[in-house]
Amino acid sequence: MRPSGLIHLFVNGEQHALAVPAQRTLLEALRYDLGLTGSKQGCDKGDCGACTVLARARGTTGRGEAILSCITLAHDAQDLEITTIEGLSGPEGLDPVQRAFADCGALQCGFCQPGMMLSARALLDKNPSPTLPQIQDALSGNLCRCTGYTKIYEAVQVAAGLRAPAQRAPVQSERAAASDSKAQAVKEIVP
Amino acid sequence: MSIGARFPKSDGAAKADGSGVYADDIALPRMLHAKILRSPHAHARVRAIDVSAAEAFPGVVATLVGAELPAKYGVIPWTQDENALAVEKVRHVGDAVACVAALDERTAEDALRLIRVDYEVLPAVLTPEDALEHPEIKVNEKAKVGNITKHVNLQFGDVDAAVAEAAAVAHETYRYAGSTHVPIEPHCAVGRMDPDGNLTVWSSTQIPHYVQRELSRVLGVPQSKVRVIQPLLGGAFGGKSDPFALEFCVAKLSMKTGRPVKILYTREEVFYAHRGRHPMKMDVTVALDGDGRISAVDNKILIDGGAYASFGLVTAYYAGQLLTGPYRFGTYRFDSYRMYTNKPPCGPKRGHGSVQPRFALEVALDEAAGKLGIDPVEVRRRNFIGEFVETVNGQKITSNGFLKCLELVEKASGWKERHGKLGRGRGLGVAGSMYISGTAYPVYPNEMPQSGVLVKLDRSGRVVIYSGASDIGQGVNTLLCQIAAEEMHCDPREVTVVAADTDLTPVDMGAYSSRVTFMVGLAAREACQKLSAKLRAAGGETFAEACQRAEAAEGAPLAATGGYRTQKLGGDYRGGTIGASPAYSFTAHVAEVSVDEETGIWKVERIWAAHDCGKALNPTLVEGQIEGSVYMGAAEAQMEEMVYNEKGLLFGPSLLDYRIPTSLDTPDLDSYIVESNDPGGPYGAKEAGEGPLHPAIPAIANALHDACGIRIRELPFYPQRILKLLRERDGRTEERAAS
Amino acid sequence: MMTLPDLSVLHPASVAEAVEALRANPGARLLAGGTDIVPNLKYGMYETRQLVALRGLSGELRYLREDASGDLRLGALCSIDELAGSAVVQARLPALAEACGQIAGPQLRRMGTLGGNLCLDTRCVYINQSYFWRSALGFCLKKDGTVCHVVAGGQRCVAAASNDTAPVLLTLDATVRTVSPRGERWMPLREFYVADGIHNTVLEPDELLTEVRIPAAATRRKQAFAKLRTRAAIDFPAMNLAVALELDGNALKSVSLAVSALAARPALIKGLEDLHGRPADTRLAEELGRRAHKQCKPLTNIGVDPEWRRDILPVLVRRTVLRALG
Repeated sequence: MRPSGLIHLFVNGEQHALAVPAQRTLLEALRYDLGLTGSKQGCDKGDCGACTVLARARGTTGRGEAILSCITLAHDAQDLEITTIEGLSGPEGLDPVQRAFADCGALQCGFCQPGMMLSARALLDKNPSPTLPQIQDALSGNLCRCTGYTKIYEAVQVAAGLRAPAQRAPVQSERAAASDSKAQAVKEIVP
Repeated sequence: MSIGARFPKSDGAAKADGSGVYADDIALPRMLHAKILRSPHAHARVRAIDVSAAEAFPGVVATLVGAELPAKYGVIPWTQDENALAVEKVRHVGDAVACVAALDERTAEDALRLIRVDYEVLPAVLTPEDALEHPEIKVNEKAKVGNITKHVNLQFGDVDAAVAEAAAVAHETYRYAGSTHVPIEPHCAVGRMDPDGNLTVWSSTQIPHYVQRELSRVLGVPQSKVRVIQPLLGGAFGGKSDPFALEFCVAKLSMKTGRPVKILYTREEVFYAHRGRHPMKMDVTVALDGDGRISAVDNKILIDGGAYASFGLVTAYYAGQLLTGPYRFGTYRFDSYRMYTNKPPCGPKRGHGSVQPRFALEVALDEAAGKLGIDPVEVRRRNFIGEFVETVNGQKITSNGFLKCLELVEKASGWKERHGKLGRGRGLGVAGSMYISGTAYPVYPNEMPQSGVLVKLDRSGRVVIYSGASDIGQGVNTLLCQIAAEEMHCDPREVTVVAADTDLTPVDMGAYSSRVTFMVGLAAREACQKLSAKLRAAGGETFAEACQRAEAAEGAPLAATGGYRTQKLGGDYRGGTIGASPAYSFTAHVAEVSVDEETGIWKVERIWAAHDCGKALNPTLVEGQIEGSVYMGAAEAQMEEMVYNEKGLLFGPSLLDYRIPTSLDTPDLDSYIVESNDPGGPYGAKEAGEGPLHPAIPAIANALHDACGIRIRELPFYPQRILKLLRERDGRTEERAAS
Repeated sequence: MMTLPDLSVLHPASVAEAVEALRANPGARLLAGGTDIVPNLKYGMYETRQLVALRGLSGELRYLREDASGDLRLGALCSIDELAGSAVVQARLPALAEACGQIAGPQLRRMGTLGGNLCLDTRCVYINQSYFWRSALGFCLKKDGTVCHVVAGGQRCVAAASNDTAPVLLTLDATVRTVSPRGERWMPLREFYVADGIHNTVLEPDELLTEVRIPAAATRRKQAFAKLRTRAAIDFPAMNLAVALELDGNALKSVSLAVSALAARPALIKGLEDLHGRPADTRLAEELGRRAHKQCKPLTNIGVDPEWRRDILPVLVRRTVLRALG
């Protein structure tokens, strides 16, 4: 058995030694001990998905699957390789998912989106050409309050190369004839 | 052309790679963490607070009680009725009582349990009806009469005569449940008092300027020494447009300790801070003449306000004032009471004040039209108020693309072929709405511009725009880049926006009332046009060269300012300016629903939404606002409600129990932009962030009627309510069959 | 943020070590996926300060195999997600695959385990709340209080069994293996749950559920699962049910029907033997709905209208039975 005390976390390909108490969540360790503030806290108890990170067992390949860091204990994450939003992009620039989210207007306030983009990345790693229902299902644990999800689906499809960004043109309204203003003529105010 | 382009958001990359800084991402040296003790009672007198044990707790650095911040605050100058921490009374479960700053959150939280509060529990009023019936139980001493925050009674024309002569009248009671914003980012603030007496507060606010004013007043620090900075904001929707307890607490505790202090609300605390949609009970009468024209609308509105005023004075007006388009009313009357109750305060949620009565009106209109056998789309078309007209309550409508909106959703949904013909359990419904593009009136009276923008040119060709406006995710910073590029022919990617920092940026009133695109847009355009003239005069091969030549000609660095100057608008009567806007947006929706008639479980299948935003400065951003609005409206129809127990305790203040739709619960959304090119707006633009929410709810209610012949008049449209109505319908059918 | 109480976490590497850790640390609780216990700890629902983490037991307890007798053996640390996606589960235990596919949301299904779901603590709108909230309420029977807010005057906690796998496995006659310092025991899942919301299983504090076994015969039953919930993801059940039927030609040979998210124990609908021999048709499905309606009384422990839930139960039962029959 391992004693509690100094722990090792493997995040974005880097190994960190941390002295944190056993009640430290992985999210707290990422945000406040490692300065990886891209992982967000929205509900702090596994209800919203903002804290989503990717995890895989150490020694395995790929980026892993989406888990919730706010209800994972840092001490219990030592056997995992973690990828956070900061680990998606590199010197070569943004990941195609990140690029597409930015280009398609999927990012409004942006707060839920690190978790959303990681869920999307995990989906595309497993299934490079997902259908819309598959995308909707894969993102159903990440709550977004800004977008109505529509542009998020679009971004995932654009990242997967399944479509181009939306281009529907605005429609011009004709100048409508001003309607008769008889009814507006008399106003009675009774405060 | 930069205006009208689908330009990616200027902060998109920082939001995409996780490097963007939100309030809780700020960590300062020696920063303390504070927690707020909250009232377990809905209404109680605070006889005494003993913080000595908490102060003695190892790791605690300071405590704070209400007596140290006695000045009352509130966003509306006439109804300042809040204290950061309870001074004499607590008025709702979750009301703030005391605060502890410690080395870490856990220590602060542990110390809270050591604070002894001596409460004298008082009787509480939990409904607006009770609040009216029991004026002797005074929720908030600010109320002049009983528990009334505000009473508005306005009449335009002889409503009773019009109703008496009507060909068809719908008269029903509608109930709108309270809901809340649920930004995914919980409120957070960091305060730092410098040794030289300058106070800085970083806050997840959408009104930095108001927060600055109120901090100054409550803390007794000159406004010139208070700096409020809004970092990236993780959603707001009106939920961050009041000053909140945490901002005062971090500031005061920083003054007491000489150290930076942070407070991050838990999700539960966000629910108690609330300011969400007001529950309303609306007795609505809609009268149509023989041609199906609206001859009268009469609305008696009872508004459940919660413990504090917040924007409640405005709510009481908006509930009536914003209803008078896109249809022409022959006569109109509304009588609204906004009541204090012992619950978390309601405030402005996206579509402030008018979402509830809009639901009632649009359903009542269908009910009345049904009596005359007029198609729902047709009755809306027939009552179109027109462009450049005055409404019955004296508001000046300029551009109006509502007919085009209606036509688009009618076509896209296949209305003519499908409405009334989809068979049992499936139906279409339509609704329309209008909304303001900012208010003609600043919330505190003054003659200064509501929006100011400063643009500076660098000889490198870099443009810096200083704007007080809050980008709350809607993308105003991106619009500023586009406006600069449009006017000065620079690359929008070479524009830096410095925003929402009261030391660095000119004043903007904040991101509320859908005012930002219109007012900040005009201010920015004015500043950029001034510089553009100088750049054109100077000439040059490249933008940088033009900047250099212009600067040489000027003999000084190049900068210019622009402002949005408040226009005098509105009816000539008390309250006539409230709801008066320089331009109104218009929206039409068609919703399609399916209903499982055996269980009452139903689904919004799809919503077609067309919105007249005047001119889409950035269609991608406008679509995002339409889609987000429609989603939020549909969510309120489907599932959202703030439910309290008999002691005023909010059930399930969490994202598990207060359910907001997941991707799987959100209908297919089809957004259409209509451009009516408003003569007053920047490049013709009007608002897009709130208007498109309104029709979603009545369109869904009307679709439920088309699907199965029931009229649901109470939100949310819980399946049990649907099932009950279905059984009543079947009972009626059986009675008819029997007779 | 919400803060967790001081904890210490043990990381055993085997079942034997885990059992020893439980023995040596009375009051310790198990941490598998953490999806239930961590939020509950943040809410101050447990006095536990010692956790025994089971991640190190994955090699031992994460498996799905068929034994010589054709019975299916599922290790307790199988993730919900892998059960939902497993071809074997989909083919032989389709109701379990359905149930697993409808638990919570994608991330929680990856973290959560079969053992964790079967041992999921009961839930109630009055208990799964913060300490502050519960203090404002005046606490309740399950923790820190003496009053039940669901049943007036109630003396026994009726917090709801909210596991989606339980009703399915009950109808499939599953048995579970548990290990404690006193050794190993096997018991039918039907004997695993008790009607006490404070602790709704027969597990001793130092006992660990390690395996679920589904008899080969049960995998041949016609089966289906249904879950009522407000949202199509994330939500716990507002009500759930599972049915398993054996036919002889078109005649019913046996039927098992379980309904849960009612009170502390998943309900197996009783007295269905008289239906044996009846044609397996819509009338049978309706009759099963009537029986369920008679025996099930949803409560206000779950924040979805109990009267409505009871009202529509017969419809849900009928449809689920017909779906099982194909």
